[in-house]
Amino acid sequence: MEKRFLSLWFGHLATDWFSLRQPQLKSIPFVLRTSSHGRMIITAANTVAEQQGIRIGMSVADARAFVPDLEALDDKPDLAGRLLKRLAEWCIRFTPAVAIDLPDGLIMDVSGCTHLWSGDASYLNDVVSKLNARGYDVRASIADTIGAAWGVARFGKGSLLIESGRHIEAVMQLPPEALRLEQENVERLHKLGLREIRQFIRMPRTALRRRFGQVLIQQLDKAVGQEIETIDPVMPIEPYQERLPCLEPIVTATGIGIALQQLLEILCLRLQQEQKGLRAAAFKGYRVDGKIEQVDIATNRPSHHVRHLFKLFEVKLSTIEPALGIELFVLEAPNVEDHFSHQEKIWEGSGGLEDERLSELIDRFASRFGIAQVHRYVPDEHYWPERSLKLAASFQEKATTGFTDKPRPLQLLSVPERIDVTAPIPDYPPMLFRYNGQLHKVVKADGPERIEQEWWLQQGQHRDYYRVEDEEGHRYWLFRLGHYDDKTYQWFIHGFFA
Amino acid sequence: MSYTELQVTSNFSFLRGASHPEELVEQAVAYGYNAIAITDRNTFAGIVRGHVAAKKSGIRILPACRLDLVDGQSLLAFPTDSSAYSRLSNLLTTGNLRAEKGQCHLFKRDVYAHSSGSKFVLLPPESLNPSFDFDTEFKKVVREYRDAFGDQLYIAASRRYSGDDAKLLHRIAQLAKQFQVPMVATNDVHYHNPGRRELQDVVTCVREKCIIHNAGFRLHPNAERYLKPIAEMQRLFRQYPDAIRQTQDIAEACTFSLDQLKYKYPKEVTSEGRTPQEEITFLAWKGAAEIFGAIIPDKIKANITYELAFIEQMSYAEYFLTVYDIVRYAREQKILCQGRGSAANSTICYCLGITSVDPSKFDLLFERFISSARNEPPDIDVDFEHERREEVMQYIYRKYGRDRAAVVATVTQQHHKGAIRDMGKAMGLSVDTIGSLSGLIWDFADEGFDRQRIIDQGLNPDDKTIIKVLQLTAQFMGFPRQLGQHTGGFVITEGKLSDLCPILNARMEDRTNIEWNKDDIDALGFMKIDVLALGMLTCIRKAFDLAKTQYNLDLTLANIPQDDAAVYEMISHADTIGVFQIESRAQQSMLPRLRPKCFYDLVIEVAIVRPGPIQGDMVHPYLRRRNGEEAVEYPSEALKGILGRTLGVPLFQEQAMKIAIVAAGFSATEADELRRAMATFKAKGKISYFEQKLIKGMAANGYTLEYSQRVFRQLEGFGSYGFPESHAVSFALLVYVSSWIKCYYPDIFACALLNSMPMGFYQPAQIVIDAQKHGVEVRPVDVNRSQWDNTLEEMAGQYHALRLGFRQVRSLRVEDIKLLIAARKNGYASVNQLRDAGLSEAVLERLADADAFRSMNMDRRNALWHVSVKGHQPQALVHETHTEEGIDLPVMQLSEHVVHDYAATALSLKAHPVSFVRDQLDQFRILSASSLGKGMNGDYVKVAGLILVRQRPGTASGICFITIEDETGTANLVVFQKMFDKFRKEIIQSKLIMVEGELQIEGEVIHVIVKKCHNFSPLLGKLTASRDDSLALKHSRADEKSSPFLDKKHSNDVIQGKIFPEGRNFR
Repeated sequence: MEKRFLSLWFGHLATDWFSLRQPQLKSIPFVLRTSSHGRMIITAANTVAEQQGIRIGMSVADARAFVPDLEALDDKPDLAGRLLKRLAEWCIRFTPAVAIDLPDGLIMDVSGCTHLWSGDASYLNDVVSKLNARGYDVRASIADTIGAAWGVARFGKGSLLIESGRHIEAVMQLPPEALRLEQENVERLHKLGLREIRQFIRMPRTALRRRFGQVLIQQLDKAVGQEIETIDPVMPIEPYQERLPCLEPIVTATGIGIALQQLLEILCLRLQQEQKGLRAAAFKGYRVDGKIEQVDIATNRPSHHVRHLFKLFEVKLSTIEPALGIELFVLEAPNVEDHFSHQEKIWEGSGGLEDERLSELIDRFASRFGIAQVHRYVPDEHYWPERSLKLAASFQEKATTGFTDKPRPLQLLSVPERIDVTAPIPDYPPMLFRYNGQLHKVVKADGPERIEQEWWLQQGQHRDYYRVEDEEGHRYWLFRLGHYDDKTYQWFIHGFFA
Repeated sequence: MSYTELQVTSNFSFLRGASHPEELVEQAVAYGYNAIAITDRNTFAGIVRGHVAAKKSGIRILPACRLDLVDGQSLLAFPTDSSAYSRLSNLLTTGNLRAEKGQCHLFKRDVYAHSSGSKFVLLPPESLNPSFDFDTEFKKVVREYRDAFGDQLYIAASRRYSGDDAKLLHRIAQLAKQFQVPMVATNDVHYHNPGRRELQDVVTCVREKCIIHNAGFRLHPNAERYLKPIAEMQRLFRQYPDAIRQTQDIAEACTFSLDQLKYKYPKEVTSEGRTPQEEITFLAWKGAAEIFGAIIPDKIKANITYELAFIEQMSYAEYFLTVYDIVRYAREQKILCQGRGSAANSTICYCLGITSVDPSKFDLLFERFISSARNEPPDIDVDFEHERREEVMQYIYRKYGRDRAAVVATVTQQHHKGAIRDMGKAMGLSVDTIGSLSGLIWDFADEGFDRQRIIDQGLNPDDKTIIKVLQLTAQFMGFPRQLGQHTGGFVITEGKLSDLCPILNARMEDRTNIEWNKDDIDALGFMKIDVLALGMLTCIRKAFDLAKTQYNLDLTLANIPQDDAAVYEMISHADTIGVFQIESRAQQSMLPRLRPKCFYDLVIEVAIVRPGPIQGDMVHPYLRRRNGEEAVEYPSEALKGILGRTLGVPLFQEQAMKIAIVAAGFSATEADELRRAMATFKAKGKISYFEQKLIKGMAANGYTLEYSQRVFRQLEGFGSYGFPESHAVSFALLVYVSSWIKCYYPDIFACALLNSMPMGFYQPAQIVIDAQKHGVEVRPVDVNRSQWDNTLEEMAGQYHALRLGFRQVRSLRVEDIKLLIAARKNGYASVNQLRDAGLSEAVLERLADADAFRSMNMDRRNALWHVSVKGHQPQALVHETHTEEGIDLPVMQLSEHVVHDYAATALSLKAHPVSFVRDQLDQFRILSASSLGKGMNGDYVKVAGLILVRQRPGTASGICFITIEDETGTANLVVFQKMFDKFRKEIIQSKLIMVEGELQIEGEVIHVIVKKCHNFSPLLGKLTASRDDSLALKHSRADEKSSPFLDKKHSNDVIQGKIFPEGRNFR
C-alpha cells in the first residue's frame, strides 16, 4: 500500500502553551527569554509580538526599546520536547504511528487512516481544527513522503494537501530550506541564486555533492521518495494496574489478604524490573452488589517492597466490607517514581536517612497516626532563635547547615513567656526572676549574647540572652528585649537547658 | 584616660566595610577621638582619604592595615615611622605582585622580613572551642609571633556580645600574661554608626554572592561593629583598663603621618652633568633657536625667561624634563604625540616639542593653570597614537623600572546602575524588577526617587523591599568597588615607588599600578603624567606617511601651513566628515553659524558644542554676540578680563572657575574643590553647599541672582563635561591639521582614516562616499590588487585612486591575507591557485562574498560556485571540472550585488541601496536629500534614507536627532519627544525610514522637523527578491500572505541578517 504522511508544524508552540495557562497573554505582545552571555535573548514570540517586528534571537532589551509593554517570561528548557510528546500521545487518536519532530513539529504516518474520515481533506481538516480548538497554532500538510509534507507544511503556498503522486511537483516549488538542511547550506544556495528546489534538482549530482555534501542529495531523495524515511512512533505507557478476578466471590479477611498479596507480588515484580517504586497505591474490591471497596496507602519514598507494602495495607484491610462477596480485586499505583536499588552493603551500618528500614517505619507510623503527626526538624541558618529550626519539607531533606555552636536550650518555647526580673543595669545578668508564680534565685549566669532583628524579615528591638542557673541547679534561657537605655525593655524566658 | 580605635575596616576593604574613610573620621571627631586607625585588608587604598579628612578636622590618623595571611593568623600592622611604613608598603607590593589583580598573597615569612619598626596586633579567633579555651594551635601561633616580633606584638580583644565575651576576654588576658603580649582593646569597626549595619549585611551578600534571605551565619549576629563612644569602650573594658591604655601607647608610638612621605622627581633626565634647571634652560633655548632661527622674537624671549623663572621658583624642572623625555622617545620611534593640559600650552612646551600649538598666537597665562597656592604639580597630558601608545608605556616601565613607575589607580565607584543591581540582587529582587528600578536612575537626585516615577515603572512605591533597596542604593552609591587602572596616568619617582605606596598587578598584561587614584596623588603632591591614546593621531601619522610616499611631502604637526583660508572655507560649509572633533552632527550644524575664520575660532568651536555650555545656555548668546545681533557687555569690569576673549560669555572651564574666584570670593583651593565635587560624585550633598556659597558670594559683590544661578548651572555642566581652554587649544590644532589634509589631499585623508578604524563618528561607507564626492576614485577589494590596509594606487584624475583593502571585509584575518599576498607574485588566474596558496575554503568564501574576484572575470556568485567545492585535491581530475561547464547560475542583479556588498564590506561602490527604490519613492513624492535645500523654510516635505545615526543627548530634553542618507547625500531630522514616543518603533526598528515633516532652513543648516515616520525597510527586502532572476519562478505576490515564512523570514532575514549596518546610537 502506498504511504501517506502528515507533517504538523506548530508555529508558536511554546507561546501557545503559555497563553493557554495565562489567557491574558493571548492579546498582548509576549515573548519567552533565556539568558545567554549575560543578555536576555528571545527564544519564542507570540503572533502579536511578531507582528510588531520582534524576532527570535533579539535581546529583550532591544525589543523593549520599540515595544515598551512587551511581556517577557522565562523559557522552560525542554518545554518543546515535553509538549510535543504530550501532543503526540494525544494524536494517537488519528493514527497509531505518531513521531516527534523536534523542535516544533509532529510526523504522522496516516497511510490507510484517512478513509475513516472519508478522505485526506476532511482528515487534514479535522486534525488542524481539533488542535486549533486546543489552542495551538498549526499548519499541516499531507503528502507521499515525509520530506514533502514537512516542506509544504512550513513553506508551501496554496493547498497544503498534496495529492498522491504529485509530491515531486510540490517540492520543486519550495525553497531549499524546505529540505531540512543546515543553515550554512541554505545560505549558500540562496547566495548562488538558487532560491527554489527546481533550480538545482536537475543539476549534476557530483557538482552538488562537492559543494553541499551528501546530505543535500540525501534530503532531496527523501523529499521525492527515492530514499525511504521511517519514523519512530511514540508509545503510550501501560498503566501500573493489576487485576485479579475471582472464580467465586471472596468474603473472608484471609481471602482478601491472599488477593492483596498476589497482586502486590505481580505489581512489585514489574516495578522492580523497570527500576521503579510506588509512592501511592489503591487496592479496590469490586463487590457482587456493584459497590466498590477501596483502601489507599502512601509511602515516603518509592518502594517495591512487597512485605512492607502489605503491612501498610494490612492495618486498613479490616475496613473493607465484603458483604456478599468481592468478585474482582484491582491494585493500582497512580504515583510511581524511579527507584534504583542500592547495592547491599556487606556491613550493615545504621544507614541514617538512607536506611529503608527507617522510611518503612515512618510509613507505618503515618498509616496509623496520619502523616501530619510525624515531624522532622532541621537547623536553618538564622541567628534569631525562633527561625533557627525549621520543619523539614520532606523526610529526605538534608540539613543545609549545622546547628550553631552557641549553647542552645534543649527545649525551646515556641513563644517566649514574660517574666518578672530583678537585674542590675546596664547589662548584668538577672539576680532573681519569677516564672509561673515561682521565684528563682540566680546563682550562676553567662551572657549577654546580643541577637539583632533580621531587619529584612521584621523590624524591632534586639534581644540580650543570658543563660542562668537557679539554686536548684535548673538552667534557663532568658532574654531582655530592648536596650537597657530604653526604659521600655521587657524580660522573657525562652527555653530550658537540661 | 582616652581611647583610640585601632581596628577599623572602611569600604576600601571592598564589600566588607560599610562606611567611607571620611565618614569614619568625621564620626571619630564627633566622639572626641584624638586619633583613629584605618586598617583595611592588605591595602593602603583608603588611608589617603582618611588622612585628608582627618587633617581637615585636626585629628590624627594612623595609616595602617590588616594583614590577612595565607598561612597564619591575621595581624594589624602599625608603622611607627616612615621607614617602617615603606617596609609595609613593600610587603603589600610583594603580596600583590605574586597574585592576580585584586588579591594579595602574603606569608608569615614575608611579614617577618618587613616587620621592623612596626607594631603588630594579633587578632585572636572570635570564639572559644567547646572546652571554653583557645586551641593549642593558636597558642603556638602566639608564641611564634612573640618570638618574631618581640615586644612589638599585642593581642586584640573585642566585645562582640556573643554570649561568651567574659570567658573570651579572660582567656585573652591569660595568654597576654603567659606570653608577655599586652592586650589591646578594639571594637573591630565596620561602619561609623549602627544604622549602617543593614548596608554591611547587604554588601556581605554581594561579596558572598548570596541573597539576604539565605545569607545566614555569613552575616554578623548584631549591630555592634560600629564606632563606639570612648566612654562606652571604657565601660566595656572596665575589668581590663590596661587594654584601653595600650591603645594610647600604640597611638603615641606611631608618629608616622602621610605628610612625611616625600615625593622626589626622577633624576636621570638630565645630561652632561647639568642640574635639572640648567638642563631645561639649555633645552628651551636650544628648541627656541631651532624653531625661530637665530633671532628669537622678543615676546617669545620674554615668555621663556618668565616661565623658566617660574619653573625654578616652583622647582618643576624635573617634571617638564620627564615629559620631554617621553615625548622625545615617541618622536624617535616616529610615534605622533601632542601635549595638552594646564602647563602644556606654554612657550617652553612649544620649544621642547611637547606641543605644536604656537604660543605666540595666544595670551594664555602660564601660571594661571598651576595653582601655586597649593603647590600642586603642573598637569600635562600627552596624547599618543592609539595603536602605539603601549610602546610608550612600556618604554616608561623600561626606563624607570617597575619599582619606580606605575599607573595610577582609578577607584571604580559604585554608580546608580551598578548600585541598584547589587542591592536589588542581594535583596532577592527579580531581574525584571531590578531592570525597572534601574530605569529610575535618570531621575535620581539628592532627595531620592520620585514616587510617581516608581509607579510609572510598574512598581509599588509602598513595597517595603523596594523602599529598602532604594534607601540602601542611596547609601551604597559612591562606594569604591574595585581598583581599576587609570587610562594612562603614570607616577614616576626617584626612589622606589613601593616605598610610597603598594604596587599591584593590573588586569592587563605587562601593566602594574598603584593603589591610589589621582585625587590621592594630588593630595600628597606626587607628580603624574598622563599618557593617553588618541585615534586621530594614528590617522594623522598614517596620513603623513602617505603624504611622504605619494606626494613626497614631509609633514609634521608643526609645519602644516597655518591659517589657510581654503581650509576655513571648507569647515564653514560643514564639510567635515571624518575630521577630528567637529565631525559630529551637532558640530556640523554649528559650523555654518559660527563660520570659523582663524585658529582661535576653532578653539571656541571645540569647546562650545559640549554639554557644559549647552546646559548653561551659553551657545546662543555667544552666537548672537558674534554675529553682532547683541551687544557685548560684561556684568562687571572685573569679569571683563576673564571673559574678554569669548565676548562676555564663559565657555571654558577656567573661566567658570575664575568667575567663582573673582566674583564670589572663592579661594583657588575652594574653586578647585568645587570643580572636583561636581566631577566626582553628586551624592554627598556638597553641591548645595557650594551653590549657596557661590550665590551668596556673588550677591555680596553685587551680581544679580539670575546671573549667579546661571554661572552655577554652567559650573555644574563643566564639572563632568567641561573643556578647559588649554585642552581645547591642543584639540583645535588637531582639528586644523585633519581639516587641512582633508581639504588638500582627500585621497590621503580617506585612506588614513579607513586604516585607523574603528574611530570617530562615521562608518566606512560614509567616509568612502565623502571621498568620492571630493573627486577620489575608489576601487573595490580585489584578490589581485588589494593589500590588508587600504592603499593609494596611481593618479586617477586629480588624486590617487584609493584601493580598498582586505581590512574592510568582514571576518577576514590578517594572517590569511599575509598568505594570499605572499603567494600572489604576478597575480592569480584561478581559484585553485589561491587554494594552493593555503587559503581555506572559509576564507575564499568570504573573499567571494566580498566580490573580490572581478580581476579573474568572476562575479561573486560565480566565484562562490567555484570556491565552494569541498575537499578539493590539488590534482583534481580534469574531466570532473568539465561536467560543471553546463551549469548556469541565475544572474545576480545589481541591486542584489549592492546588498551583498554591504553584507561583506559594509559599503558598496556600485550604487547606493536607496537608488534602487527611487522610482517607488518618487511615486510617493518623496524628495531626495540633496533637493531639500531647494525648498522653502516651512515646506511640508517627505524624505527617506538609511538611518546613519540616532542621537538623544541628555542635554536636549528628549529630542532625538537622526541623520539619514540616500544616494544624493544626507539629511538631518529632528524628532521631538512627543513624536519620538509616538513613532518609537519606527525610529528604532527601521533601517530605511521615511519621514514627513516641516523643512527648517537656516542658511546652510537644513533640518526636517519630523511629524510622521514610516518604516520603509521592507522595500530593501525587495532588492534581493527573486522577481528578476531569469530562472526564478513567477509566483503571484498575492500568495505571500498565506505563507507566514516566505520572503519574510527565510529568504530575507536569514540571508540579509544585519546587512545594513545598524545606525549608531548615542546618548
